[in-house]
Amino acid sequence: MGKVIVITSGKGGVGKTTATANIGTALAKLGKKVVVVDADIGLRNLDVVLGLENRIVYDIVDVVEGVCRLRQALIKDKKHPGLHLLPAAQTKDKNAIALEQMKTLIDELKEHFDYVVIDCPAGIEQGFKNAIVGADEAIVVSTPEVSAVRDADRIIGLLEAAEIHDPKLIINRLRYDMVKRGDMMNTEDMLDILAIDLLGVVPDDENIVISTNRGDPVVNQDESFAGTSFRNIARRIDGEDVPFEEYKVENGIMERLRSFFKINSN
Amino acid sequence: MVSQSLIEFKGTKDGLIIKIKEHQDFQNIKSALIAQFEKAGNFFTGAKLLDIECPYINEEERLELKTLVMEKYDLSFIEVVEEPKDQIFDGLKEGMTKFHNGTLRSGQVLFYEGNLVIFGDVNPGAVVKANGNIIVLGSLRGIAHAGANGNIQAIVSAHVLNPTQLRIADIIARSPDEKIPDSVNPEVAKVKNKSVYVESNYNKGKKKGER
Repeated sequence: MGKVIVITSGKGGVGKTTATANIGTALAKLGKKVVVVDADIGLRNLDVVLGLENRIVYDIVDVVEGVCRLRQALIKDKKHPGLHLLPAAQTKDKNAIALEQMKTLIDELKEHFDYVVIDCPAGIEQGFKNAIVGADEAIVVSTPEVSAVRDADRIIGLLEAAEIHDPKLIINRLRYDMVKRGDMMNTEDMLDILAIDLLGVVPDDENIVISTNRGDPVVNQDESFAGTSFRNIARRIDGEDVPFEEYKVENGIMERLRSFFKINSN
Repeated sequence: MVSQSLIEFKGTKDGLIIKIKEHQDFQNIKSALIAQFEKAGNFFTGAKLLDIECPYINEEERLELKTLVMEKYDLSFIEVVEEPKDQIFDGLKEGMTKFHNGTLRSGQVLFYEGNLVIFGDVNPGAVVKANGNIIVLGSLRGIAHAGANGNIQAIVSAHVLNPTQLRIADIIARSPDEKIPDSVNPEVAKVKNKSVYVESNYNKGKKKGER
């Protein structure tokens, strides 16, 4: 029986989909059987981030409505045979699936995979409720901004109300140089407010934008900072005890590190 | 006494059709039906009832008759999903055509039973579906499904033919994973040997001239 993890945030644009794609891929890299489920019906993105958009024939709504069988809707990843995607429908809306239907679907997926990773839509309405209905665990993604933290706090409350306890936090898009200058909330500030366990910190990394546009998750690049963070997050999810990465920041050393890696790769 | 010829039984491969041919009072129809079944004895037991055809009764009465014969004479009724025997659209060269003005954006679906001409773009995430040909006077970047009810001769053409997915009849082709440059000339996609081929519109004209 697999584990169902929902990745949620409340606020939009903090990196739920990116996190889902990367954690899913990284878990598959660890040799696990993984299915990533796009619960964002009507505004699907996960397929694009994974570069699998052109393979979609059936989607989650087709499965629920019985147009096709579950296996027919699952798309195998290009690189990792253990990774599968269950895409959302683009031409329907969030109400196309009822809670019980989603629950049944997730329970079925759970039997065949080690990990079921659900990409939750932004907001706290039907889409959110559907995404969390079958989940065993939750990961809350937040950026170091007051608005994102506020929404994350609300989500943690809703998760607790839905009997999903001990959600884990991923801090996304942290800029160590700004934190050092005191211009950005740091990890401690956020943990202080949210009071949940930290799963990982993902630094702001332009590789994310590049990889997203290319449809190739950043965990596939060995040298990227964000990729390393996500790989470590996946190992932590899998029960390994991985120390948190540390990035020393001295006058834009991120840039220097980057150039260092560039020289190395030549 | 109700005449015998009021009710006719017709067996088809899908099941039994009961035809009521004359205009009669509902009660008369009902008693005639019962009479017929009584006369037939066990003959119809377990048979599959497809439909009761009678232009003179309403839906409620039809339902009453159906339940009557099913319960009393042990017939099973099979619900036929209204599938109007889809005739494959054959107006590819000349036939019904819809002209659509405007760009189709992600999540929008456009379907037409004939040919479809779109003045505008079809963006990724949008779906255009037609039983005939699909012509896009703009960029096709979403999903296009031509010959949707089975005509494999249907074509998809666009000024810029760069779809996420192309479907013609029941054949599905997806775009290559590597980025390909947009073509300068309009292109046509059609099925040859069960695969989708894309060719330029221009060469085709030349070949004709050579002949």
